[in-house]
Amino acid sequence: MSDLAIEMSGVAKTYPFFSLDDLQLNVPRGEIMGLIGPNGAGKSTTIRILMGLVHQDAGEVHVLGHRMPAEQIAAKWEIGFASEDMRLYESMTVAWHMGFIQSIYPTWDPTYAQLLLKRFGLQPEQKVKGLSHGQRVKTSLLLVFARKPKLLVLDEPTTGLDPVARHEILRELTDVMRDEGRTVLFSSHHTQDVEQISDRITFIDRGHIIDSMDKETYLDRWRRLRLEVPLGVELPALPGVINVRQQGRLAIATANAFRSDLANAYERTGARVQGIEAMTLEEIFVANVERSREEVEA
Amino acid sequence: MNDQVILRLILKDWRLNISLIIFAIIGGVAALGILLVGGQTPLVLGAVLFFTSMILCASFLPMSNVVNERKKQTLAFMMSLPVSPAQYGVAKLLSTVGMFVIPWVTLISAALYMILGRHVLPGGAIPLALILATVPLIGFCLITGTALVSESEGWAIAATAIVNSSYGIAWYLLVSYLPSLIRTWTSPVAVWNAAALDILGAEFALIVIVLALTMLLQSRKHDFV
Repeated sequence: MSDLAIEMSGVAKTYPFFSLDDLQLNVPRGEIMGLIGPNGAGKSTTIRILMGLVHQDAGEVHVLGHRMPAEQIAAKWEIGFASEDMRLYESMTVAWHMGFIQSIYPTWDPTYAQLLLKRFGLQPEQKVKGLSHGQRVKTSLLLVFARKPKLLVLDEPTTGLDPVARHEILRELTDVMRDEGRTVLFSSHHTQDVEQISDRITFIDRGHIIDSMDKETYLDRWRRLRLEVPLGVELPALPGVINVRQQGRLAIATANAFRSDLANAYERTGARVQGIEAMTLEEIFVANVERSREEVEA
Repeated sequence: MNDQVILRLILKDWRLNISLIIFAIIGGVAALGILLVGGQTPLVLGAVLFFTSMILCASFLPMSNVVNERKKQTLAFMMSLPVSPAQYGVAKLLSTVGMFVIPWVTLISAALYMILGRHVLPGGAIPLALILATVPLIGFCLITGTALVSESEGWAIAATAIVNSSYGIAWYLLVSYLPSLIRTWTSPVAVWNAAALDILGAEFALIVIVLALTMLLQSRKHDFV
């Protein structure tokens, strides 16, 4: 059995105005992978390909050891999938949906389902059309969590939620992820949500994966240096620095492979380092996307 | 194991559309009740209401059961379950056709009872009635196939409009160009001549072809959500 829950290799999919190119994505079993990208980056297409809902034009996809899309039935017994644009049957109640899913999956845990009903503040006899957006998302997640799947695939589950509902859902996700055997792929453009729960983070933009590594490494390696540059001093291109923006005598250098001697290297050129700042995941994401786009345009 | 999932999907569709089936049966039974009154006007009114119930059911069911799955964004929920797209297509086709066939068979049976048991019409009307009543079944299969393959409300509406406006022409052609059907409809017992059997056979062959073509096209799809 492979140690990877998700293996995507050389995956391509072309639409008239968008394409995924040579996508490589590996998620080890038991890991929580955050997939971050701007709107239209290819997150949902990637997820739909690995769920077998969209067939790739080229490349290999294996999910929990099953080749996709050919073996999607076997894979989907073990995958819990919820997406922001997935809807439930409006005329039916929460309890009816629970009964429907329970009738399909032998792994359904009724005790846990009742516990989630209480935690999420859902009324089983309420019809879906009477639920708020947050309650609908909670119902969808309840239907997924109570099945106890080996792999959770969540496509922008927190989009459009108010802060309280987001907090409740992220707290529950954190609880669900305590089961170390469970793998999670969580896509979002809310970097805070992904930062809160992910072990590893992959950035995707315009159909390409632009970076992928564990969260702590990102936060350790990315720094912003504030520099004072005297007249006549020209800042050199230093290894590990991906971008320098200068306005008058002030410059900001962004490093994606920060080392302690980087500040000394700038000091040696005559510049003065005013400060070294850690970057948030959102800032790292934006800098990564900008660098990737500049490279493509160059 | 997967036959069970397909069965669950079929039962789910039936549960969601139960009111439509009941309304179709009530409409058809009311039509047959009008026929019982006897006389020329109730005969025409009853026949019109009988076929209207069938046609409305044939038009609304594909919209409600097939097109709405995509329109109301529940398709992703269904496709996240352990079924292949082809199995989903089989489940959808069986549930939709089953839902139409239930009121169709009920109404046809009730109509046969009215002819044979209550003598509202002569027995010779049975072949003609069956041939005419099978036309909405063909129309229903065409609309359902278009809706399932295209998953488009626009295409489904276009198919419904074309099919519904073709019923009158189809019935007119059947009655006008097959005098042997008309010659025997007033006889006291059903006359199953070659023309009647050929037409019925052709109608059911057309239904099988439409359904098989629908499954073939559905199984060749690559993108589902």
